[in-house]
Amino acid sequence: MEVVVRIAGAAGQGVQTLGEALARAVFRSGLYLHGELSYHSRIRGGENAFTLRISDRPVLATSAHADLLLPLNGKMLELYRPSLRPGGLLLTDEEVPGEGAMRVPAARYAREDLKLPIAAGVVLLGAAARALGLPPDRLAEAIREVFGDKAEPNLRALGEGYRLGPEPRWTLPPAQFRPGERALLTGGQGVGLGAIAGGCRFVASYPMTPGTAVLEFLAQHGLRHGILVEQAEDEIAAINMALGASYAGARSLVTTSGGGFALMVEGLSLAGMIETPVVIHLGQRPGPATGLPTRTGQENLLFALHAGHGEFPRYLVAPADPADAFYLTAKAFDLAEKYQVPAIVLTDQFLVDSYAVVPALDPERAPAREHLVPREELERIPRYERFALTPSGVSPRAVPGVSEKLVLVDSDEHDPYGRITEDLGIRRRMVEKRLRKGEGLRAEIAPPEVYPPGSVRGKRVLLGWGSTYGAIREAVELLGDGYVHLHLRELWPLREEELRAVWAEAAEVILVEGAATGQLGKLIAGETGLRPGRLVTRYDGRPFTAEEIAHEVRG
Amino acid sequence: MNAERYLADVEIAWCPGCGNFAIRRSLAQALAQLELPPHKVVLVTGIGQAAKIAHYVNVNGFNGLHGRTVAAAAGIKLVRPDLTVIAESGDGDLYGEGGNHLVHNIRRNVDLTVIAHDNRVYGLTKGQASPTAPQGYRTRAQPAGSPSAPLNPLALAIALDAPFVAQAFSGEIERTGELIAQAIRHKGFSLVNVLHPCPSWNRVQTFAWYRERIVHLEERGHDPADRAAAFAVATKGGEEIPIGVLYRGERPTFGDVHPVLQGEPLGLRPLPTLHELSPLLAGFA
Repeated sequence: MEVVVRIAGAAGQGVQTLGEALARAVFRSGLYLHGELSYHSRIRGGENAFTLRISDRPVLATSAHADLLLPLNGKMLELYRPSLRPGGLLLTDEEVPGEGAMRVPAARYAREDLKLPIAAGVVLLGAAARALGLPPDRLAEAIREVFGDKAEPNLRALGEGYRLGPEPRWTLPPAQFRPGERALLTGGQGVGLGAIAGGCRFVASYPMTPGTAVLEFLAQHGLRHGILVEQAEDEIAAINMALGASYAGARSLVTTSGGGFALMVEGLSLAGMIETPVVIHLGQRPGPATGLPTRTGQENLLFALHAGHGEFPRYLVAPADPADAFYLTAKAFDLAEKYQVPAIVLTDQFLVDSYAVVPALDPERAPAREHLVPREELERIPRYERFALTPSGVSPRAVPGVSEKLVLVDSDEHDPYGRITEDLGIRRRMVEKRLRKGEGLRAEIAPPEVYPPGSVRGKRVLLGWGSTYGAIREAVELLGDGYVHLHLRELWPLREEELRAVWAEAAEVILVEGAATGQLGKLIAGETGLRPGRLVTRYDGRPFTAEEIAHEVRG
Repeated sequence: MNAERYLADVEIAWCPGCGNFAIRRSLAQALAQLELPPHKVVLVTGIGQAAKIAHYVNVNGFNGLHGRTVAAAAGIKLVRPDLTVIAESGDGDLYGEGGNHLVHNIRRNVDLTVIAHDNRVYGLTKGQASPTAPQGYRTRAQPAGSPSAPLNPLALAIALDAPFVAQAFSGEIERTGELIAQAIRHKGFSLVNVLHPCPSWNRVQTFAWYRERIVHLEERGHDPADRAAAFAVATKGGEEIPIGVLYRGERPTFGDVHPVLQGEPLGLRPLPTLHELSPLLAGFA
């Protein structure tokens, strides 16, 4: 059972707020949902749409079509009416001829009775809730949560909407989970929560969509959780401040998008050289340059992997959904500390801004572990060397000022103490030491997910990474027998053994990627010589849907 | 405390006669005067001849990227207010590549001491004009002479309301050490612009050239509390070069005003516990 609701309006008409309220009410009803926010790069006017899939089973992808459409103005009506499925319902305050449409005089009520024109959207939402068969109390509770002390007129708007709305057209299924068993969050919130769980104490960031969502989330939670969140003067400052803070003992995060990450690249290389942990959240959007600032894409995989001059290990993950964003960001903090490397969490606008219902987050699955050398041990070392040569390549890491041992780091090639050197023998040993850490890191990578589990012999394999997870999963179900979903979450170091097995057995490997050139295919080919047989790509700034993938795969 | 203990016993890669030797000595004297334990001091530098000083002084060191000295130093100080953080580099690093960080950390008023080795040239890359080079200054990269007016770091810092702004001359080791000590002691962002000759590349502004021109502000009755007077001194121009404290003021630091920075330094706080995380995560369920 599934119903897709689409709310569309101009920026400033409250589309996101309405969508969040409806999502919360659906979640409190024990139902699964996926809520996708799509918007133009402007604050007023433009086009905003919130697409909410309501389902009795987990959903992690969006839909091109809608069953219930709420255009908040005439332009949105024109733009989105073709997306309404046959037999769907259109609720709007515009004059609409034809079947399946109902006019709700929302604007007049909001303007004349409430003296609050923006509440027209809530009137329409009330009408929609009635059509959906959603109990009024449940939406009222969500309105209170979302609007806070501005709830009162909006509750009246909601009541009026219920009164004006049509008889229920749908019967929502009973609750599929009990309170506390599931969580409702966006990918951006998942990254932020993962950072808190990972022990983050310092965030420096320059605002850039979609990375800003994480900046704002942590700024709001930082006050309670002891995290300093500072808006830097530019991205170059952000990463250098983060590295300074990390050197001094504070686990640090920067959050940005492709253009900002480009500015950070020299700092990324510095992190590699001074072996100082830092976590970089890179929320992708389409490029080159400023590209489509508020749209989604997966064009930065190879950039994230190869950014930075010189050779040094890094950890690169691409969460599939908001829960993954939580666990993998926490893991990025842990491994960045353990191996003293930069870690990149690669998301995209679709993941960062979309709401999903996922299994409740378990803090015990994301334990923060201490990796600094204990003070007593530090004091026993006669001459502390920050870059001591070790079999694993990992040197005992101390921070300054906790004992009398001095801590020296240098962006130049340096000796084990940290002093600048041009001794080429030391240079060679330092390169090898840094690269050895990559081998330890490789052993931390979990196997990719195969669905349905089991042999892929003779099957067609849809290969994906990151936020395409939900759409590919559903596409495989639509395609039926003979199709398998292979998904990579941890992309570097690349774990090869499962990939080699899949290529050896599968009839065909089809890469599904939100980029024009099939970057994961190039990465795998570079490491293993194996290439995908086909590409299914999307680079128009919109997320994949299952139907589109299935259609393209069928050819 | 003895200044010698701060001087690292290592081979030094500066040119003979370089003003950097004297500044290193002045810094060691300042640290000794303030009796700062070496492990409680972090010297943050960038890239350039001056930036090598992180290797020549016995304190903690962060020798980062060219131009990013002040940004890295701010990151350290924000999470470790218990440490004395000194950002030290050349005029190219601090005023050229790193100008934006200088401006915004004065705004933030992070409690840093910034020591600029100002020799008006790029030494490490062999003599190109720096942001403080005089207009018309000829180099291999500016064969027709530097077309731009020099940056005035003192006027810039005073205009931005940096709470401590001073200028020193490396030929006066004791006085420079004393000015650095005052800068470290002063709460908030402090800038000490240290003029020093570059014997390899700058044949105009030599020791003798400076000695003929410097004037000591304390002998002129200058009141460092008077910001307008300080700005007037910084922008006066002419032949005289002012040495001493131009401006000394009070302004709440970033650490004073930010609610998260009250209490234990962030860099020393323990990892989060399940007790802390569980209610946070439950809020999304």
